This record gives sequence, structure tokens and C-alpha cells, in this order.
Amino acid sequence: MMSDDLVEPVDTALRDQGEGLADRAARAVVAYRDGDREPLAALVQVMTPLLWHTVRAQGADTETAQDVVQNVWLTLVRDIDSIRDPRATLQWMLVTAKRAAWRSVRRSREDLVRHEQDEHVTDWLAAPVDDRPDTMAVRSERDQILWQHVSSLPDRCRRLLGLVALVDRPDYTVVSRALGMPVGSIGPTRGRCLAKLRIALSSDPAWSVS
Amino acid sequence: MSTDESTLALVAAGGMDVDDREILRRIAALVEAADPVPPGLVDSIGMALTIEALHAELAELHLVGEPELARRADETSIEAGTITFTTDVLTVMISVHPEAGRVRVDGWAAPAGELSVELHQSGDVTTTTSDSDGRFSFTDVEHGPARLVLRRPSDPTVPIVTPQIEL
Repeated sequence: MMSDDLVEPVDTALRDQGEGLADRAARAVVAYRDGDREPLAALVQVMTPLLWHTVRAQGADTETAQDVVQNVWLTLVRDIDSIRDPRATLQWMLVTAKRAAWRSVRRSREDLVRHEQDEHVTDWLAAPVDDRPDTMAVRSERDQILWQHVSSLPDRCRRLLGLVALVDRPDYTVVSRALGMPVGSIGPTRGRCLAKLRIALSSDPAWSVS
Repeated sequence: MSTDESTLALVAAGGMDVDDREILRRIAALVEAADPVPPGLVDSIGMALTIEALHAELAELHLVGEPELARRADETSIEAGTITFTTDVLTVMISVHPEAGRVRVDGWAAPAGELSVELHQSGDVTTTTSDSDGRFSFTDVEHGPARLVLRRPSDPTVPIVTPQIEL
């Protein structure tokens, strides 16, 4: 099926996409430098979930993840005058969050080995298929089927779709790039991860009939 | 190229449609449900950014013989009963009293003098002024994490900020 953004004039497509997080972040940084802290405070509200799940997808436990996410924001305001291109703020924050999470996970794994503790990372975006808790509130049968198929995807696809789902189209590229996935992994075409999911769903009779 | 691989390539090259968007919308809801952002995280980030923007002097906390004032496991917040904070220039003592599901906060700052005292809670700021003895109070305060920001008339641009406490 043809996507509407392939047939519409570019400017209409852009207008329909609205303002993404990357644009909001850019404006918030510029405003903050001019002494207006309100847009950044509003940005904390809308962007923290994406940062949270980005950090959790690296396997950070909830306590570590809270510290990492808070530190990303503090680092942003401490270094805010040195940001050369405010439009790169979202990308910078996602990459910073990912790396900080990765470092803390590596540290805690080393601790784990040293202390021979038996703790499991329970984050679903990061957890191997067998470890994933089934306790989550899946509201409908259709969601349950979707959940199973998403869970069966390769790790990188599960993370990509789980994080891209949290943003709108204008930010797909930034999110996938921050994850280390190539540009065009998703949007304007489906890309292979979403295609895998669509094929799996279409061959599942339980999904097709509902 | 196998049939599976060429099917995948074909589907992958297709533009995203209404169904794709619906699937992503559902995945977003599932992600949020499976691993919700902890309640209070956004608020505590907001508070941390406010404090950062003040370029403030952070008061050290001194627990003065109050055994029930245990630090919580995560050490981000301290259960308040009676607490003393000190810096080189100011000492603040506060006591917290439950009052009809909410709390009253009584405080005293030394050296005595009129200070501007702000109570920061989840983005809300309540301001009062201490009397000439250094006494102040906040009534009808909601439970939850909070900080005090005190400004001395002699040096209003360097506020003194307490660590986060749990009221």
C-alpha cells in the first residue's frame, strides 16, 4: 500500500507531521539560554518517558535508570551554553542516556560477578525472551497476541519498535540513529523490523480474524 | 533470495500505513504498561533542575538524635520529623506535624533575622518570610518530597537549599 507521505507534496506531509520532540528540545534550549526556563520544564514532562525507556532498554535497573535519566537532564543544563546546534539536543540526550546506562550496566554486571548476587534485569525491552515477566497488564487478547509477536522479534528490532512507538514520525530518524540503527530503519517506509512484525501478525490466524 | 527474504524486502519497502500506526500506538501503550516511568521521577527532575538553576549552596543535613529519621533505601529523600540543616552561614531546624491528612512545617533559622523562605514541592513554590526571631511556618502542606530554599537579605543571590526531604 502506498503511504500518504509518498503522494502528498512534501510541505503538506511536513505540516501533518507536526512538531517533533527534536524541534521542541531545540526551542527549549534556545529559550533556556535566553533566560526562559518554562519550555525546558515542559520538555522534561514529555521527553522523560522516552529517556526512561531508552535507558531501561540497555538493561539498567529502575534505581539506576532514575539516576541516569536525572543526570542527563542535569548535564544538559550544565552544558547548555556549549551546545552548538540546538537541533541536535534530542539526539545528544538519547546517546548520552544510552551510553551512561550501558556503562552502569557493565559496572553492575561486574559487581554481580564479584558478589555472586542473583538478580535479574526485568526490563522487557532488554530482557531475553525467556526471562520476560508475564505479569504485565495486557488489556485485550489482541494486545496479548501483539505482545507475543513483539517479544519474539530480535533484540534490536524489539528495542527499535518499543522506542519509536513512543515518538511521532518527525523523530523516528533520531531515535533509530541514537540506537545505532541506520537511517530509514523505520519511516517513511516500514523497514525490516516493522515488516517482520507485520508478516508474523498476518500469518497468525488469531490476529487476522480479530 | 529466498521467498521469505523477498517477501520481507517487499513489505519493508512499503510505506507505513494506518495499520502500522495503530500497531505502534498499541506497542507504546504496552511499553508504558509493562515498565511505567516511576511516579515522582518527572517531579524530582524538575526540582533538581530548579536547584541547579539557582546555583545555590546546598545545605548539609545533620540528623540530631532522632532515631526515626532513617534515610530511605534509595537515599534520595529523608523522612521528616525534626531535622536540622547547617551550612557555614545558616542553621535551619524544621519540625513536621501531621494535620488532617496534610502537614504543617514549623521552622527556625539562626542566626535570627528575616529571611525569605520558599517551600518547593513538585514544581509548586510557596514563599513566606521568617520573623525577626528566625521563625517561619507553612500550613496545609501536601505530603511528598520537598525542599526549602532560604534567601538572606545580605546575600539574596546565593540561596541556601536543603536536601530533598519527605514530608
